Amino acid sequence: MTGTGLELCELRKTYTARGRPAVDAVRGIDLSLRSGELLGLLGPSGCGKSTTLRMIAGLESVTGGDILVGGTSVVERPARQRNIGVAFENYALYPPLSVAENLAFGLKARRRAARGSKGDVERRVKDIAERVGLTGLLDARPAGLSSGQKQRVSLARALIREPDVLLLDEPLSHLDAAQRDTTRRELKRIQKDLGHTTILVTHDQEEALSLADRIAVMRDGVIQQLGTPYEIYDSPANVFVADFVGEPAITLLPGISGGDGHARLSEAVRIALPVRVERGREVVVGIRPEDVRLTGEGGLPARVVAHEPLLESGLATLALDGVERPLVVLTDPEVRLAHDERVRVAADPQHTHVFDAETGDSLR
Amino acid sequence: MRKRALGWLGDAALILYFVFALFPIAWMVILSLKPADQLFSTYFSFSPTLDGYRTVLGDSEGIPFVRFFVNSLVVSVGAVALSLVVGLPAAYASARWRFKGSENLMFTLLSFRFAPELTVIIPLFVLYQKLGLFDTYVGMVWVLQLVTLPLIVWIMRSYFADLTPELEQAALLDGYTRKQAFFKVALPLVKPGIAAVSLLAFIFAWNNFVFPLILTSNEAQTVTVGALSFLGGDRPKYNLTAAAALVSVVPPLLLALTIQRYLVRGLSFGAVKS
Repeated sequence: MTGTGLELCELRKTYTARGRPAVDAVRGIDLSLRSGELLGLLGPSGCGKSTTLRMIAGLESVTGGDILVGGTSVVERPARQRNIGVAFENYALYPPLSVAENLAFGLKARRRAARGSKGDVERRVKDIAERVGLTGLLDARPAGLSSGQKQRVSLARALIREPDVLLLDEPLSHLDAAQRDTTRRELKRIQKDLGHTTILVTHDQEEALSLADRIAVMRDGVIQQLGTPYEIYDSPANVFVADFVGEPAITLLPGISGGDGHARLSEAVRIALPVRVERGREVVVGIRPEDVRLTGEGGLPARVVAHEPLLESGLATLALDGVERPLVVLTDPEVRLAHDERVRVAADPQHTHVFDAETGDSLR
Repeated sequence: MRKRALGWLGDAALILYFVFALFPIAWMVILSLKPADQLFSTYFSFSPTLDGYRTVLGDSEGIPFVRFFVNSLVVSVGAVALSLVVGLPAAYASARWRFKGSENLMFTLLSFRFAPELTVIIPLFVLYQKLGLFDTYVGMVWVLQLVTLPLIVWIMRSYFADLTPELEQAALLDGYTRKQAFFKVALPLVKPGIAAVSLLAFIFAWNNFVFPLILTSNEAQTVTVGALSFLGGDRPKYNLTAAAALVSVVPPLLLALTIQRYLVRGLSFGAVKS
């Protein structure tokens, strides 16, 4: 069983309410998912990612553009005729029904529409429960399940109808850390096994990076960058993407290009850029904490503001001489730094990012 | 020590309140058990008799109390049933969608509750006379909508609003229609609310006095007005009025006891993260 491709063409959503200015929640999104692909829609809350998901599902009307499932436009169809499965953030399990009944509930709506007999329903419930790992829980009520189990039931419920496209809405946001890790791995395995074309909506970059084949980073209803997790991480298209993806967050320092492959951050600090930028242009230099080393000699002069030992590594906050914003550096676990200690650091120019100060776009 | 003293004080206060609250009822019980000739001669020492109840239920004195009782049942149940049929979809719609004028509509509905009935009763009386609704079941059920409908719509609206819409959306995606999502998903989940609000509405309808007082005369008269008939005539028969009043308390009381467990709002939904 394989999913079908999904295409969004110039998809737009504008909310209009009387007496209030219209709000453009989604401003023309183009996306194309090949069959079986898992795409992560990543962005902060209010960026339009959930609205996009709801438009694909048919729970929200579309202001403009088109949605194609397997090459066919579904925009005009109501949700029940789209054959799209959604695993909701809050699981949307029906409390009075057992897990098995919850799973069967979705099938019953279409049973008359040529989806087989009662025995068939039972067989499919068993089948999906096995794949998702719920076999022992079929008689349980939703209230008695852990969040991770509820999430799996929710997923099974979306999958049992064999949807053309699967949508996951913040699937891990209500799980605790331990369950999140196991459920994430399960999710990845199940999605790869069943091969559904999937969109994952999340504000959690870890979730998107670990699960998605490709990620679309969204902001203010616009896709900022579309690419593999590595592309997003290694060459962010603009300051927003650089800042949003990466934990601990990238350090962004304003400076002025010297035209010689360096940018001046302060009187004392010049930093090498990966590309040549014309002299005098205002730039923002981005350096990820893991791309900076402490050096004994040479490098940039700095003072230690704080150092947090985090067991498997350390996190140092440094003040580069004359630079207002602090630089965050990932240190080796054995490194000990004292407050106000003088250090020197070096950043790898190949991993340094440079953005235009005005537009925020990458200059690489 | 101090805590103990406070506890005693609290107990004393509670007992005092208990007496204050229950004494009128006790007085009614005493009154209803008195024989007619001892009504005014004694307070507590009398020869108790069930004659009062027998007279009230036995249709003597020319006052068909049993019929009033049945009338009350029919009219109150009818009013609640009609309000449920009309009010549940209305409550659901107003909880799920904001449409043009929806808030105004809801407020208008609420205003039926706080506008004094006396302001509309005279025109209603004239209308009912003209329309032939005076002293009929239909007329009473209709006018009691002013009492039961706002209650049911407003309370059920908050029950529906508390349901996460994702449950219905999941059903829509499964292939159910909007209507099916309402009947198969939303409605069963608010059953406890329906039970509670129906009881409440029933009690309000049952207790209503002004509407049956003005809009009925005999055929559709209810117990609230009917019980007073015993005060007419040459000699007010307080014992009969008391007995009638006590009998008329029975249905709401029984109903309250039977669905008590629904009244506690024990909606342990597992739908949202626990």
